[in-house]
Amino acid sequence: MARFGIGIDIEKCTGCHSCFLACKDEFVGNDHLPTAAAQPHGGHSWIRVKEVEQGSGTKVKVDYVPVLCQHCNSLACAKVAPEGAVYRRADGIVIIDPVKAKGCKAMVDACPYGVVYWNQDADLPQKCTMCAHMLDAGEKTTRCAEVCPTGALVFGDLDDVTSPVSRMLAEKAGKLEALKPEFGTGPSVCYSGLPKVFIAGEVLFSNRGSECASGVKVVLKDATGKKIEETLTDCFGDFTFRDLETNEGYVVNVEHVGYAPLELAVRAFASQNLGELVLKAK
Amino acid sequence: MKYDKVVTTTAWSPGPGCHGGCGVKLFVRDDKVVRVEGDENHPFSQGRACPRLLALTQYMYHPERITHPLKRVGPRGSGEFVRISWDEALDTIEARLREIKDDYGPESVLFCQGTGRDIGGPISFLAYSYGSPNWIQLGLAGHSCYTPRLGAMMATQGDYAVLDAAQFSPQRYDDPEYRVPEVIVIWAQNPAPGCPDGFFGHWIVDCMKRGSKLIVIDPRWTWFSAKAEMFLQIRPGTDGALALAMINVIISEKLYDEKFVSEWTVGLDELRERAAEYTPRRVAEITWIPEADIIAAARMYAKAKPAAIHWGVPVDKSPEGTTVAQAINHLWCLTGNLDVPGGNVIARPAYGVTTYPFSTQEMHALYGEDFVNRLNEKRIGAKEYAMVRNFRGWAQPDVAVEQMISGEPYPIKACWIQTSNVLGGQAADTRLHHEALKKMDFVVVADLFHNPTTMAVADIVLPVASLAEKESFRSWWAPLQVITPAVQVGECRSDWEINFELAKRFNPELGKRFPTLKDLFDDRLKPTGMSYDELRDAGGWMMPPENSASRPYRRHERGLLRPDGKPGFRTPSGKIEFASQSYAQWGLDPLPYFSEPPESEVRTPELLAKYPLVMVSGRRSSVFFHSEHRNIPWLRECDPDPIVEIHPSVAKANGIEDGAWVTIENDRGAIRRKAKVTPIVHPRIVSVPHGWWLPETEGREPNLFGIWDVNCNVLVPMGTQSKSGYGGGAYKTTLVRVRAAEGRGE
Ligand code: SF4
Ligand code: SF4
Repeated sequence: MARFGIGIDIEKCTGCHSCFLACKDEFVGNDHLPTAAAQPHGGHSWIRVKEVEQGSGTKVKVDYVPVLCQHCNSLACAKVAPEGAVYRRADGIVIIDPVKAKGCKAMVDACPYGVVYWNQDADLPQKCTMCAHMLDAGEKTTRCAEVCPTGALVFGDLDDVTSPVSRMLAEKAGKLEALKPEFGTGPSVCYSGLPKVFIAGEVLFSNRGSECASGVKVVLKDATGKKIEETLTDCFGDFTFRDLETNEGYVVNVEHVGYAPLELAVRAFASQNLGELVLKAK
Repeated sequence: MKYDKVVTTTAWSPGPGCHGGCGVKLFVRDDKVVRVEGDENHPFSQGRACPRLLALTQYMYHPERITHPLKRVGPRGSGEFVRISWDEALDTIEARLREIKDDYGPESVLFCQGTGRDIGGPISFLAYSYGSPNWIQLGLAGHSCYTPRLGAMMATQGDYAVLDAAQFSPQRYDDPEYRVPEVIVIWAQNPAPGCPDGFFGHWIVDCMKRGSKLIVIDPRWTWFSAKAEMFLQIRPGTDGALALAMINVIISEKLYDEKFVSEWTVGLDELRERAAEYTPRRVAEITWIPEADIIAAARMYAKAKPAAIHWGVPVDKSPEGTTVAQAINHLWCLTGNLDVPGGNVIARPAYGVTTYPFSTQEMHALYGEDFVNRLNEKRIGAKEYAMVRNFRGWAQPDVAVEQMISGEPYPIKACWIQTSNVLGGQAADTRLHHEALKKMDFVVVADLFHNPTTMAVADIVLPVASLAEKESFRSWWAPLQVITPAVQVGECRSDWEINFELAKRFNPELGKRFPTLKDLFDDRLKPTGMSYDELRDAGGWMMPPENSASRPYRRHERGLLRPDGKPGFRTPSGKIEFASQSYAQWGLDPLPYFSEPPESEVRTPELLAKYPLVMVSGRRSSVFFHSEHRNIPWLRECDPDPIVEIHPSVAKANGIEDGAWVTIENDRGAIRRKAKVTPIVHPRIVSVPHGWWLPETEGREPNLFGIWDVNCNVLVPMGTQSKSGYGGGAYKTTLVRVRAAEGRGE
């Protein structure tokens, strides 16, 4: 028995929305019983593409995060549903039963990822089925994975090392993460490169006509003063610390021989461009 | 699921709307398309399909689609139309157009199209069969879309060129001769959502995956700029200055390809002298780009082998667009990146087949020499503008709209509008075009949906087939491919069918030569040695043959480019001309130069004091093609609101919150948009997506689906065209101010 999963490499997602549309083409107006009743024409995003634009000035990041049912191990949605209305198959796919789940609107709010949608006309909660009907018919992939033009979204059998998803997981080993792991539901969808906050800046020398200060050491510390990371500025005097946790306090230290050191305290609610940091000659 | 048949065909408007080329599979059940997929065996798109293509079924079977001919019965703007038969529609059109021809001459009818899709063939065929020289992209200020770049490329190297993504080879990236560009300069474009000019946007992503590094030039951060090695956040409209500064660095630091330049080019000294005026320091002030970045970008591009430039329509929309394009073109010639693997390769259509005659010789053969000469005499703008006269058979839009109103030097009485929602789309100074179109005695619109233009001015509306319902062919670089119908919807007919039928009525001679449309297609496909049916049955597409003029590389060395078969280029000198003889002959400066935008901090500081922000329109969305698709629910869901992108500092200074409605205004008017506060725009610009109308609102006058409320082209002037006649539409450089809008609910 296969164990299905989806891998999403944020670095490759251009935010084209083709996955969203392919899902529409597959499900709108088409019943795929017993795993899915037809998706209504509007209002449902079984997969939605979230845009994240952050930073400022010369340090900006633009990312897109596709969000679909995470096909979790522990089902938050099942807690509010009648017996058998939602179940996890042996292959890992989580299905909302189009018959038994009738009327159970509570599932929409119960899913912490917000990926269960209410079908008013059918009186039914609905969501991504990992294209179970296609897989059951012997197809090898989901519509969204098939259509993704960049290979950002891949599907496959997690137990088969040659499947696209296993290959992505292997390639990204050590860099994989769950979307919102704090929900603790054990998703089968795995991400790499989810947008984090970053702290960036540009260092200048005060005494050389504000020349870009390249090769200057910049150290990032946590709020307790423990060193996390250090880097050298590039030929434009720029530095960036990436993949930081939100809502944490950080300290940035800039040091160069012959100049007075700089120290800045930063709280990273969102990505920060510290702008120009001018080193004064001693 | 069971299907009755699966039809493989080519995507080329209507449907996704775009410039097309993708291979698509249409799954048909009970004579309806029920599923759409990309064709994995097609070399152009390799199985990929964009959202607009995937929404095709919703587009084709939209409840508001026009599926039979309509005639207006109420006054213009009343929205009162009744169904008529095709016979009545065509008879009425024929009779009215004959009257106008008898009374005023055929030139008094404009044949108006939107951007280049499956339309150039049918519409020029109809216009010329009727006898009018005035084939036009009505409303497109300065005709600023690709034509300026095409003109500059033709003048410089006698051919067009595009970034090489191995698109001319059936093996694509696996072609042993192919090399991935080491550096790609994306100049003024967000290619993934756009797929411009016969180029599949994701090819750039393919190259990035294979190692290409990026330099991105844009006033706005995109997915590409955020991934670029270097991002040059440029002041809109100053691309010409940047290109000249890069030329300056490349020549003065001797980073150019000396062997290539000495063997294949002329005019280096003149170019060196001209570029010397554009020091990186001076250009840093002009462009807002730091001097060090300009120098570093020039070095990075020039030192990479191979390197390629992929450019976008803002080049045309720069002031003096034809000279800006020329300067950028010089970069790939200086660095020896022309027609080499992974550079900018010369782009000719496969087998030299075009959907309509391009060259003067072909025009003579089809319509007769006398007739073609007469066209040039009467074509709007040909007297005033050298490139209109000498380069391509378009009437000049800025002159045309004035003439529609003034009637000078001859009256314009009717418009045939096809593949163009003029008032909701490309027309700058929308009010002026509204006024001009309302003066027409007779207006026909061929389209799929009602839109602001049909509502305001159409007398007859003809229902057009989508790509899934039509027989046609596509030739735009490569491959050459057929479009095969899968189903029929209502009484819709393809643009070709409609125009062919009418053209035969006006020019029975053509009818004798081409009894059926297939005969015409077969005639155009002759250079391939195949008929339309044979090409379709052979798989539907063909790449250019090896060792032919339409297949890269290094064709100048092999004598494949010039009519006389000698090595070199199809220019007056036979070489690449850094100082263009053609430009000189046409009375233009033979060398590139920079000119300030018509409204700018330098040219009009007093206006800047009043309107401190540069409005850049035209950012692309993957779910819309220009003014299309606002009425397609699946697509609209992804990009629901007419927004304005505002920098957080501007929003703060003006008391504007994210999601609030704001007014954007200048002396020409005011529109409203929903604020999207984002760091991706430069603090001195606002990005205002174009093509917005609101199909969910009232279509009748005066609302016209909300264009006066949300269409940004209301704020953009006409009459800013380049000296050549092409380029310079101020769609990216118009000055505005923003403020919180009073009481807009919704
Ligand atoms: S796996 Fe299938 S159902 Fe789930 S989002 Fe993708 S296309 Fe939709
Ligand atoms: S189809 Fe792929 S690239 Fe496009 S939005 Fe979805 S995941 Fe991203």
